[in-house]
Amino acid sequence: MPDVNLTIDGHKIAVPAGTLVVEAAKTIGIEIPVFCYHHKLDPVGACRLCLVEMTPGPPRPQTACTTPVAEGMVVKTQTAMAVQARADILEFELANHPLDCPVCDKGGECPLQDFTFRHGYPTSRIDGPRLHFKKPIPLSDKIALDRERCVLCYRCTRYYDEIAWEQELTTDERGVQSFITSQFEQPLKSIFSGNIIDLCPVGALTSRVWRFESRPWDMTHTASVCSKCAVGCSVTLWQRRGQLVRVTSHENDDIDEGWICDRGRFDYTDVNDPSRLRTPTIKGARATWADAINALAAGIKGKGAKLGVSLPHDITNEEAFLFRKLLDGPLKGAKVKMHGRTAIPGPANGSRAQGALPESLMRIREIDDARVIVVVASDLEHDVPIIDLRVKKAISKRGAKLIVVYPDSVDLDRHPGTVHIRNAPGSAAAEVRKLASHELLRDPGGPVAILFGDGYGGEDIDDLASACGDLARKVGGKEMALYRATNERGALAAGVAGWDKLDGVEALFSWGPPPTAGIPKSVKFSASWDHLPRAGHEAAVVLPATTFAERQGSYTNLEGTVQFLRPPIPVPAPLKEGWEVLCELAAALGLHLDYAGVAPIQREMALQTPDPEPAPPPVLVGPAHP
Amino acid sequence: MAELRGSHGDQPNHILTRWFGTPDLHKLEVYSSKAGGYTALRKALVDMAPADITNEVKTSGLRGRGGAGFATGVKWGFINRDAPGPKYVVINADESEPGTSKDRYILENSPHLLVEGILIAAYAVGANQAWVYIRGEYDEPYRMLHEAIEEARAKGYVGPKPLGKDYPLDIRLYRGHGAYICGEETALLESLEGKRAQPRSRPPFPAVKGAWGRPTLLNNVETLCTVPWIVNNGGAAYAKLGTEKSPGTRLMSVSGNVRNPGVYEVELGQTFRHVIMELAGGPPEGRRVKVFWPGGSSAPVLPESMLDTHTDMEALAAARSMGGSGGVIVMDDSHCVVRAAHRLLKFYAHESCGKCTPCRIGQDWAVRTYERILAGEGSQVELDILQRVSDGLQNGRCLCGLGDSGGWVIDSTLRHFREEYEDHALRHECNVGKVMASA
Repeated sequence: MPDVNLTIDGHKIAVPAGTLVVEAAKTIGIEIPVFCYHHKLDPVGACRLCLVEMTPGPPRPQTACTTPVAEGMVVKTQTAMAVQARADILEFELANHPLDCPVCDKGGECPLQDFTFRHGYPTSRIDGPRLHFKKPIPLSDKIALDRERCVLCYRCTRYYDEIAWEQELTTDERGVQSFITSQFEQPLKSIFSGNIIDLCPVGALTSRVWRFESRPWDMTHTASVCSKCAVGCSVTLWQRRGQLVRVTSHENDDIDEGWICDRGRFDYTDVNDPSRLRTPTIKGARATWADAINALAAGIKGKGAKLGVSLPHDITNEEAFLFRKLLDGPLKGAKVKMHGRTAIPGPANGSRAQGALPESLMRIREIDDARVIVVVASDLEHDVPIIDLRVKKAISKRGAKLIVVYPDSVDLDRHPGTVHIRNAPGSAAAEVRKLASHELLRDPGGPVAILFGDGYGGEDIDDLASACGDLARKVGGKEMALYRATNERGALAAGVAGWDKLDGVEALFSWGPPPTAGIPKSVKFSASWDHLPRAGHEAAVVLPATTFAERQGSYTNLEGTVQFLRPPIPVPAPLKEGWEVLCELAAALGLHLDYAGVAPIQREMALQTPDPEPAPPPVLVGPAHP
Repeated sequence: MAELRGSHGDQPNHILTRWFGTPDLHKLEVYSSKAGGYTALRKALVDMAPADITNEVKTSGLRGRGGAGFATGVKWGFINRDAPGPKYVVINADESEPGTSKDRYILENSPHLLVEGILIAAYAVGANQAWVYIRGEYDEPYRMLHEAIEEARAKGYVGPKPLGKDYPLDIRLYRGHGAYICGEETALLESLEGKRAQPRSRPPFPAVKGAWGRPTLLNNVETLCTVPWIVNNGGAAYAKLGTEKSPGTRLMSVSGNVRNPGVYEVELGQTFRHVIMELAGGPPEGRRVKVFWPGGSSAPVLPESMLDTHTDMEALAAARSMGGSGGVIVMDDSHCVVRAAHRLLKFYAHESCGKCTPCRIGQDWAVRTYERILAGEGSQVELDILQRVSDGLQNGRCLCGLGDSGGWVIDSTLRHFREEYEDHALRHECNVGKVMASA
């Protein structure tokens, strides 16, 4: 887009046409305070905090958040009129605010506090009684609402409406009595609900999981990657005194755009579980690491096909790489089962498995530009939640059309334009073959995105993959395989994403929790690397495991981007890193693996599996919701 | 038959109310045969190109009678007639401004006047569908307008081929739900779409993105009712009436302490003294006009000394007020201005939709400050707060005009009646208090 020249507070700048004044000011470090404006939501102009003077324009302050730049525009943020207008708004916001900052979770990272310091009046003229609401209101078991702190910026309701397409959150009453409420006062059920906590510019919406846990300045945080599914959203992990106390989003426009799902946000309390395993045990008795690893090695050595290896959905690339070495060496012939994975094969490149998919799969970001999106054999909301939001954005903000081929109802049906073909389970491939002549795909007018899952094993995946491939070629589209397991694609590339049945094995080595289906009856020796006590551990060799908050390593997400875990908590002794445990196990099995850390493993991996299409380094924009 | 409290009959300045008073004027047959009804529609559809109609309205200089006084012809010109897809005409009949009843006066006397105006406007801007958003409390006007539309439909004026012209026209009625904010044009559109009635940020203006995101012409009832006369007599004839910048006549609903409250058609440029003292008969025996609102409760007040202010918009702007909705509220010297302002602020606080911060909080803060002043707990602090809240509500601080209205009430009463405020706030007394009881 062509650039537009304008002047802000005397600085001449050029920004792309269509840029809003508030964003243009940001590019030169001029802060125009906002509550209702959020760069991922449509501007609404409700809070009126961003008032500035502009020429040409009427001799009144105007909202910088709703006004796009214009050629020759002169913006003044520091005139007496503009400064007073913003200070007046802040004073209004505080007129009924409870000022309970000392007990408010938002204190320390609160825009209302910060803006009042930077843009408000230095003294208060408010001495009358304040408006009261019943509080706090539980919006769900995860989120609490404090209506007295609320500044009614409507970010939460607009997010629910525009981004999540949910109808659970609304405003009731009017005027000064207005308040946010869940629809019919029912608990929020959406899997995307937690983002409203990040969006809230005050302490009105707080996490009940984190409530009263710690102050922002008491925590340290790292920019890491979520370990719950194959999307690989960027997250910020917050620790205090060795405890993981909070997970928030971390905007990465290539992948998550600043949103994370409730699994990623709230599903972390196991990290701090007081019953976490700390020492190895053999048949329930505490043991040294050396004894436990020797016992494990003795139990699985030379078993061939009578050994079963169970791998977790979130195995790191480094662990997978070491497992490959073990499976090529002392554990040759073992049956391998990766849990939580789909039946989708890996792409042809960089994979030891027989590749069935084209080398160039679609990137998540490319969904934005699709004119038609075809979703096959997957319920995006549950399989890959943040891809679901990306598809919704393409439809409601960019006008893409949507075709869903799935037996059951999905949340994407809420758009009136959605074409939903309810196929009989197992017939998705046949339906996809018919789509080439569908009216929406005859002249799509731009890129077509074909997203397919495996229908939870209900579809013949080879048939479906080839049908999707044919459709992509016919309509000029690109495919995206919707893997489910967090590092399914990395495990596929390492050749350890096994699909074997473990029935009949005599020895079982579970990297992670034991198989969800239970330990097969035939098993005589069982061992696991696990972080919580579980039934079956008393008869096994158990090695204490690290979690995603302590572990180093990387995941390859479903589009092929390799991202690194940055643990906020150092591995607490006597726990060991997973790669270290595997190296010691290899030594006990007679295979010499000597690495000084996780980085040498990564270097060796990089040399062994050159990536023909290197992923761009992830661009971390920064905290999504300042 | 509606009560005829106001202008009617043949007077040189009666454009809208010329035929009011004719028995059964609300019936299509009478409207056509006696009042020359639907001749303008015939002329527009058969003899005129749409652009000609818009030009005629531009020539007339007619300005919107809803409150803002924007040039009607210019507004019509904003609608891109050739843009593909549907376009709408929406009529604002949500007459909720305190002290204003002119639209009701029209609808209860001559509903076909509006129907004819709507059809001409729709044809001129390229719309096939019109919506009348009518105030929920207006039962009788709703019923009469409904019957008028059905009569016009039976006659074929509303339908696939009005007067044989291959140009489908349809009018539908939508009843409001009893919120003042629904009279604000973008909140009206939200309400029409079935959403919470809250204003939208502009731009985009309704002419570009209105009802259901389509180009929409939004006009007030009185504005469109003037159109048939302009089509029949020409824009130039209309422009000869009134003043140069505010041509024509307008309906003024005079209420309050006057002997003959009613709706009067006034040639713009007349003085308020003429409207209040002559047409409406002035205040009751032994009373003086103390203050009047020249254009509905939202217009800044003017004191008795400014009775000679002219009714055209330029003169009112010079007097730091506005023509607004044409509702003239008169208060005599038996009333306390501070109490009146408090009552109005209560209205604005109650009707604030809550979307934007200054209006949501400011109006309520003002009410609470007034309460302290009237309870004898005031001081200079309260007066300062009122002034600051008033400043915080005006001049583009709010999303729509409702906030400004509250600010103007405070600002204008403080400006003209500072002494009365100081009596209350500083000396804790009301100098008209005793008279209050008998008023």
